[in-house]
Amino acid sequence: MAAVTLAAPAIRSTQAQSAKTLVFGGSVPLSGAAAETGLNVNNGYITAATYINEVLGGVEIAGEKYKIELKLFDDASDPARATTLIQRQIDEGTNFFLGSFGSNIVLPTAAITERAKKPMVQTGGGSDAIFTKGYKFVFGMYPRATRQFASAAALFKSVQPTPQTYSVMWTNDAFSKTAGEGVKLSCDAAGFKRLDSFELPAKPTDVSSVLGSVRANTPDMLVCVMHDQDSLLVARQMIATNTNVKLLFQGLGPQLASFREALGKYSEDLFCSTYWDEAVPYKDKFFGDSKKFVEFYRSKFTRPIAYHTAGAAACIETYILAMQAAKSTKAEAVRDALASADYETFYSRIKFTPDGDGDPIIMGSMIGQVQKGKLEIVFPVEAQSAKPIYPQPTWDKKA
Amino acid sequence: MNLIAQTVADGLVLGGIYALAAVGFSLIFGVLHVINLSHGILVLLGAYLALIVSQTVHIDPLLTVPLVMVVLFGAGYCYQRFLIQRAVDRSPLGSMLLTFGVALMLQNIMIWVFSPDMKSITPSYAFSSFRLGPVTFDAVRMSALIASLVLLSLLAAFLKFSPLGRVIRATAQQTLAARLCGVNVHHVYALTFAVSAAFAGAAGIVIGIILPFSPADEALWTMNAFVVVVLGGVGSPAGALIGGLLLGVVNTLTAQYIGPSFPNVTMFLLLVLLLLVRPTGILGNAFSPSR
Repeated sequence: MAAVTLAAPAIRSTQAQSAKTLVFGGSVPLSGAAAETGLNVNNGYITAATYINEVLGGVEIAGEKYKIELKLFDDASDPARATTLIQRQIDEGTNFFLGSFGSNIVLPTAAITERAKKPMVQTGGGSDAIFTKGYKFVFGMYPRATRQFASAAALFKSVQPTPQTYSVMWTNDAFSKTAGEGVKLSCDAAGFKRLDSFELPAKPTDVSSVLGSVRANTPDMLVCVMHDQDSLLVARQMIATNTNVKLLFQGLGPQLASFREALGKYSEDLFCSTYWDEAVPYKDKFFGDSKKFVEFYRSKFTRPIAYHTAGAAACIETYILAMQAAKSTKAEAVRDALASADYETFYSRIKFTPDGDGDPIIMGSMIGQVQKGKLEIVFPVEAQSAKPIYPQPTWDKKA
Repeated sequence: MNLIAQTVADGLVLGGIYALAAVGFSLIFGVLHVINLSHGILVLLGAYLALIVSQTVHIDPLLTVPLVMVVLFGAGYCYQRFLIQRAVDRSPLGSMLLTFGVALMLQNIMIWVFSPDMKSITPSYAFSSFRLGPVTFDAVRMSALIASLVLLSLLAAFLKFSPLGRVIRATAQQTLAARLCGVNVHHVYALTFAVSAAFAGAAGIVIGIILPFSPADEALWTMNAFVVVVLGGVGSPAGALIGGLLLGVVNTLTAQYIGPSFPNVTMFLLLVLLLLVRPTGILGNAFSPSR
């Protein structure tokens, strides 16, 4: 046990003083393949806990004052390590869990917390597999992967002239595979004709063959659902091989400043999905609004903010709101309150389906587009900060 | 016909880069009989060094090759002489465990220093391409291929014609005889590792200009090197080139004609087949004939 502790030191363990303590357990990938976004999620958890403890002085639940204590460990992007750590925390009596990042980690850890009847609220796993096993104690801040593309399909229908055809590519991992299915479901339902679908290896190093096929049978829209490193590879090779489409959608990638910097002016007009933006109009009784959340975050961290950071902070807010609604800190009561949640946080209105994933309309994604180097929200219309640009210029015109 | 030509051309370009990424691993395995599980992390170290230097001094990343090779040469010498050799002296598996541990430590140090975020090296020609007949070539991959071939040729010439190269080959072929002739075998081993680390670093620069990279990628490049060595043979740049080219072409042909998610399947099937039919690789062990 001591060796496990040494090998997996607690990332954060804020100390409560006179108030009671609300402990949130869990693991986050701070090393390994998922570390880039894992760090964003971890920072979100820390931001919320620090704000609640230091600025608000704690939260009141059923007449008692509580401070937040985070007991999070680095799972090194390894599901086996994550499950060991979570099981240990359950054995030690932790009642509430925050999720890791990556469906491949969230899925097995959710199975453990579910078996122990402890709630997990997570912003790291969207794979359908998490939400189709009949779990009652697992809640996610996104709709399941197959339902995540509905808003993008709605945007595609709205641009003029209306695109007719699409092709989709995804990488062979737990999230991207089901997200790819979601793209096909949503786009087929919206009446677009599918020309091709491509499944890439989990870590592609070359997509020249696939892009050759795309050039041979060019769709109006190319949809890529994969992690940001792979999205960048695809974009770079598209530019280098002059593979042009009227609309390029990359689920993960253009939201990140590092991605836009790597592509430079070629990142203009690329579409992506995002679940939060600093300008969203939601308000809550913790931070007040997104701007204040961002301000507090930037007072603590220099790392650029990502939507996962906001989602992670919202996980903690959601828990508090559920506990306040249930007037209890008992796991089962909180779980019931989460299941019937309809809360407003700075991040989004929070409402879960009976299976625990985010409501696809209320918590569905917004669509962003890179315009003048900045990510603008172009859909839904209510959240728009700019109108979508379609069709995108060819790569040589962007140069 | 155009599609086959394009696919094979893409495979050869990719394969040349795989070859450079594997040659250091092959040399260490052939001379020192050490499976260097920290090979991938040395590749990434080269990529990160090139990123820092090229951004600081505003030069083309390929121009950082000499500096990066010198740095990694020195680091590789010390690493082998003062760490790996001690592990090898104690147990046959010691070097594998040690290099695995070093890879883990360096990966986490890189995360701490550089962050886990993906990085990319973007030279001015990163988005250019040109055509030769019906075949389109990505300029940055072509540059990477040319750099790989030049470096592989230099290594081959070094091993064949230079006095140090002859000493390395002699030590690999007959260690006892080399020792009896007055060769400081430990020094030669360390120099060999240093050369290999330098070439791993150079490979990192080449990889960094074509692919985004992050500390988590180190295992991929160690695995690729392993496959290339098994395919092509141990200990020679030519073996690494053959193995790399074969891997690259199999990769692109599989992606094109079987499916984009199948390259790893055919790669490992080929590996198994070759292990059954010719376990020493296509060109065999470069240092075996004198045994």
